[in-house]
Amino acid sequence: MKNYMERTSLDARINPIFTALVTSFAEQSAKAFGLDHAGALKLTLACEEIFTYLCGIDKGDKPVTIEAKNGLYFVQVKILFDVAHFDPRAFNLTAKVSLDDESGLEDMGLLIASRSVDRFSINHDAREGTGVVLIKERTYPEITWAESTAVKPLKGFTITAPDPEALKLFAHQTVSTYSDNPYPPDFRFPGKLVDMVASGEYKALIATDNYGAIGGGVIWRWRIARKKIVECAGPYIFGQPPESGIAEKLMDALIGAIAKTEAICLINEYASPELPKQYFEPLGLVDYYGPDGTFVPWCLYYRLLKEDVGSQVWAHPELEDFLKIQYKSLSFARKIVLTSYGGEARPPHSVFASQFVRTQRVVTLRPVWDGIDVSVNLSRHVQILKNEDIQTIFLEIDLGHAWQANLVPALRENGFTPRLILPYAGRADIVVFQYREGM
Amino acid sequence: MFSIPLGSLVPEYIKKFEPYVPSKPDQELMKMYGCERLYRLNNNENPLGPPPASQEIIRQLWPPKAGIYPSGDIYYMRYRLAEKFNMHPDQFLFGNGANEVIAFVIKAFCQEGDNIITADKTFAVYEWVATFSGFEARLVPLRDFGFDDAGMLDQIDERTKILFVCNPNNPTGTYWNEDTLRNFLDVIGGRQIVVVDEAYCEFVEKEDYPDGMKLVEEYPNLVVFRTFSKMYGLAGLRIGYLAGNLEVVDIIRRTCVVYSVNTVAQDTALAAIDDDDHVRRTRDLVRTEKAYLNAELDLLGLETQSGEGCYIMIKLPMSDTLAYRKLMSEGVMIRSMTGFRFPNWIRVSIGKHEAMEAFADALRKILAR
Repeated sequence: MKNYMERTSLDARINPIFTALVTSFAEQSAKAFGLDHAGALKLTLACEEIFTYLCGIDKGDKPVTIEAKNGLYFVQVKILFDVAHFDPRAFNLTAKVSLDDESGLEDMGLLIASRSVDRFSINHDAREGTGVVLIKERTYPEITWAESTAVKPLKGFTITAPDPEALKLFAHQTVSTYSDNPYPPDFRFPGKLVDMVASGEYKALIATDNYGAIGGGVIWRWRIARKKIVECAGPYIFGQPPESGIAEKLMDALIGAIAKTEAICLINEYASPELPKQYFEPLGLVDYYGPDGTFVPWCLYYRLLKEDVGSQVWAHPELEDFLKIQYKSLSFARKIVLTSYGGEARPPHSVFASQFVRTQRVVTLRPVWDGIDVSVNLSRHVQILKNEDIQTIFLEIDLGHAWQANLVPALRENGFTPRLILPYAGRADIVVFQYREGM
Repeated sequence: MFSIPLGSLVPEYIKKFEPYVPSKPDQELMKMYGCERLYRLNNNENPLGPPPASQEIIRQLWPPKAGIYPSGDIYYMRYRLAEKFNMHPDQFLFGNGANEVIAFVIKAFCQEGDNIITADKTFAVYEWVATFSGFEARLVPLRDFGFDDAGMLDQIDERTKILFVCNPNNPTGTYWNEDTLRNFLDVIGGRQIVVVDEAYCEFVEKEDYPDGMKLVEEYPNLVVFRTFSKMYGLAGLRIGYLAGNLEVVDIIRRTCVVYSVNTVAQDTALAAIDDDDHVRRTRDLVRTEKAYLNAELDLLGLETQSGEGCYIMIKLPMSDTLAYRKLMSEGVMIRSMTGFRFPNWIRVSIGKHEAMEAFADALRKILAR
């Protein structure tokens, strides 16, 4: 097995004289960690764009650290820079956009970088620091055929962690059995799924009999950077009658595996028809947009893994009714404390962190910094993302921060509507808004 | 201000450990959930409270006594127990609740690389203390809701130091009879420490239920845990103890925190230990109300696991954490069992009839919605 989680790092300064060194470091690391030539060049291009962008906005010769990590199925490059002199405005996706001159969009290094990689995020956090994360995944062969392999009802089964071959078989069976139902896109690349499990990103359990026949399975992983939430998919069941209890046993095993971890909440974004509904509660609907503009309403299921001890949340009056309805429907004990701006001084410029998942044409925005320009800034973000042909735009606010709760009027003005609550997902609950044209 | 390098200061096993979050005080919860009264059926507390003599001590507490350190080694209580169980006073060691003596034992015998063995679905503190102390906790799945003796024996290796058996088991109420326990101890042959946690022993009325105290002399590697939190209703004062072979307890004493059991706890426990009438009245209540509740649950068609002890497990057709929230809104607090690795099960403590009725009504209501 490859020695995944290897890391390399380079300390340099934000100065064009280091550009060749930075790009060479990124390219050689990417190749050493298993990216093919084309993938390595794309990651290098993204890295170069970011570094050049930094050089353009900061002439101070400040330190920068470039870290490369082998995630087995991906290579990540993280560019970390001096947080002591952080200029938040510069790290909006919209930093150089002129609304009067849309041609300016083409010159944006941040956007160009985002196009070259599979996942891209800009973050500023007091503890994590400021940085840009670029992730390029390795190339894996996609399932080109999905022959349905009939599985007879198992006479008995055990729940077990699959070996790589069983995992690939599980992926094939899922793709062939659930052609009309959602499953994570990773299932279409069985080798990638194997590497994702080997790297520890995904966990998997399957139900097998003594002869190795697979009656079903389930996968899950910790939501990246949100250690309190585990997201799962399935359970996927192959030719087994409901009375087999396989779906329930898989859920019992999954929940048992995470019950004593830091996870507070289990979310299922890819519920199969066989999902034992008694294990979950419907959290709400979001919409996923296709390239043709059509959208599919998508139900998220979840269960809390701990007893709700109740908590307090900040809320702008415009969100109060939504929260009351949601909390009542979900039976959560919450003290809603209203907040709104009272004319106090605010910083001039707001900042949003952007997380792209290019493969799914989804972007999630998260407020990082408050500012008077928040509504205009958000409008620019939406415009840029639409120009990038990204229609599925989420925005999350953390009700543990009063200033984030106060962003609600700006969100409304820009077509964002609250869709659902992720309990305990941040400092307090997180409200997920979604952009909808014309709203 | 200094920035604390927590990344390098904190051991990896602590970083990975999830702290236990206890529930908020009743008044806070009632405000949060909008209920006017709250039946606490989540912690297996004795609905009768402490025995009358213990209650009188609490009422008559002489305030200046609070300014004086308690007996550091719980002197009188140990001598009383020695008399009661025909053992030496030094065979007993007290802690701030039985939870604390779990830590004493693990600290006394485990070092880096060692492991302990217990069940996957049992009282969580054995696993917690081992894990946040940096030792491996090997968890053997229950078999038919009971501790799997053969499965536990299979897991023993040269680094196994302690095996924890909760008898009767919390939360399933299953127990090992004397034959099973003796056989287990015989196979182990003194090579490891065997802890038998008898927190709920006073609730068990079965003939074949073993009395660990009587086995200590025969099996020097046996350590027995008992508590005053359950049958004797002193959970709020925190007092529990262990008993074992003189040499073994002498080793454990080296890790023991003295003065951790306060004066009121010592005095009330001393007054409680001989109150057999309190034990009888509690058993009667638990027997009667358990029968009532089981009948109600039968009417609802719910699967239950009702064994020994002052609690019943119930399987629900919904998430147990959702049921917890809904029942809280109805003024009833139960224990959700996801944390015990029993998803969709709840554990309800046996209380007075009024509380049992309130629980049954609330359960009917939330299941009907």
